Amino acid sequence: MNQITIVWIALPLFLGFSGYLLPKLDRYFVLGMALLSIAYGLQRYVAADTLTLELIDSFGVTLVVDSLSSLFILANAIVTAAVVIYSWQTGKSAFFYTQAIILHGSVNAAFICADFMSLYVALEVIGIAAFLLIAYPRSDRSIWVGLRYLFVSNTAMLFYLIGAVLVYQANHSFAYAGLSQAPMDAIVLIFLGLLTKSGVFVSGMWLPLTHSEAETPVSALLSGVVVKASIFPLARLALMTDDLGLILAVFSIGSAFLGVSYAIFETDSKRMLALSTISQIGFVLAVPAASGFYALTHGLAKAALFLIAGNLPSRNLRELRQTPIALPLWILLVLASLSVAGFPLLAGFGAKTLTLAGMAPWQEAVMNVATVGTAIVFAKFIFLPFSAQPEAKEGKKYTVGFWIAVLILVGGLVAANGIYMDAYTVDSLLKALIKIGIGWLIYFLIVQRFILKLPRGMEQFDQLIGVMSLMLVLLFGMMLT
Amino acid sequence: MLEAFVFATILFGFFGIILKKNLMMKIIAMDVMSTGVIAYYVLVASRGGFFTPIFSGETVAYADPVPQAVILTAIVIGFSIQALMLVGVMKLSRDNPTLETSEIEKNNTP
Repeated sequence: MNQITIVWIALPLFLGFSGYLLPKLDRYFVLGMALLSIAYGLQRYVAADTLTLELIDSFGVTLVVDSLSSLFILANAIVTAAVVIYSWQTGKSAFFYTQAIILHGSVNAAFICADFMSLYVALEVIGIAAFLLIAYPRSDRSIWVGLRYLFVSNTAMLFYLIGAVLVYQANHSFAYAGLSQAPMDAIVLIFLGLLTKSGVFVSGMWLPLTHSEAETPVSALLSGVVVKASIFPLARLALMTDDLGLILAVFSIGSAFLGVSYAIFETDSKRMLALSTISQIGFVLAVPAASGFYALTHGLAKAALFLIAGNLPSRNLRELRQTPIALPLWILLVLASLSVAGFPLLAGFGAKTLTLAGMAPWQEAVMNVATVGTAIVFAKFIFLPFSAQPEAKEGKKYTVGFWIAVLILVGGLVAANGIYMDAYTVDSLLKALIKIGIGWLIYFLIVQRFILKLPRGMEQFDQLIGVMSLMLVLLFGMMLT
Repeated sequence: MLEAFVFATILFGFFGIILKKNLMMKIIAMDVMSTGVIAYYVLVASRGGFFTPIFSGETVAYADPVPQAVILTAIVIGFSIQALMLVGVMKLSRDNPTLETSEIEKNNTP
């Protein structure tokens, strides 16, 4: 298994560069790699043991594959496969596929490394590949959005680097395990870097613009998997050291509420999805032990939603309410939306139940309110009008690739139900249905009738950098108390 | 003492990113910040000694090679990101010759 792991982690980079030499094969390379990752992730999930690969005399450079990482790997693999199939007929160049496969490989690397230096390299490669994917259309706007993302992520990673050397200084090793012996500053700086990169709470305000202005398949990749690359180390660190869990719990609540309250009043469908990512990340972080399952279901659902939203006749939800959409498209949209809202029979329900079960009572009470908020947000999609024979819209044709990609993602959501069957008790079914019911009621009574434009000042570039210093103070404050 | 200077460099860089209006200057400020971080790694490496860690027969106080090796990776990554950003700035400068971030932002946010 050790050799397979090493081949599997190195293969995407090799294939990525081969894609330039054999541009005709590039799509097959990415798809093949994604399928291989699905197989690897499934094998690791079924085996349910921990695989540790330690570089000899290496100052803590380690790879660890356990069942937590296997779920993250599965999410990454399925989303990548769906995105490749989606872009199959869109005439993307070899450059696009090269970046996609390198992104896939480096996200996988982030999911299995267990030391701060490998993680740094993986995250920086992810940043570069994501920038190139965002800037793929070469328009001024896409370059600016990408540049802004790269700037924020690189500045965050500089703080992270200082933290990493402090961990090394204390332990003479970069291993995650050393964080508990490291000084407080190290924890603060590393957390600042990872929280900013994953888009948690106020430090995640770069996320709405980046994820909504990228092209449809890239948005699906960014929201589906890329943010999870920095969530995963946070979850793993929290599992290793107990006292970090509380800090993450506080941030996850802040993130869940910030995202959901912005998303409720958003009228642009892609921005709404991006804002809901901020809130869902809060849920992923809330219970580190359950983060794998939640990340898997959120990744699949959000990628499907982005692919569908990118192909709706309009991005404006107000306009969408006037134009009925085709019935099969509507069904898929509703299934993915219901999963995020935690509706039974879809994997999102199991993930929500598992996450809520792992929380402290005070945390659960607060997060339940955020769950109702999520139901409100996705009611906007669910109650869109549909018709069996929509009048043919000019220029909008759904390719075969689009249908296959979305079907894979939604099918994955149904299949992933099996991971946590214990969720289906009368008690939790009732709770989920009541929460969704309340959400829909609030949607009809209040949200649908109001137009509220929330200020976007927080998303200005200078604010994004400035917020990092605020987060630094906040983190120090939390560590001291 | 040296540590204070290193942290001052990092902070100057960080505030440069926030306070400078020009995108080009922001990128340079980011470079200053990363220079500070690199200097800190070198400083940490030299806690145990200053000599180059190459074995030459006699035992002297060597500098720790690990942070130095590690920061080399970070330098390369930082350099490539810098290059990538400058290419982006070149493209942007065609339509925004002043390169003021607030202007670029106004033109490119929906």
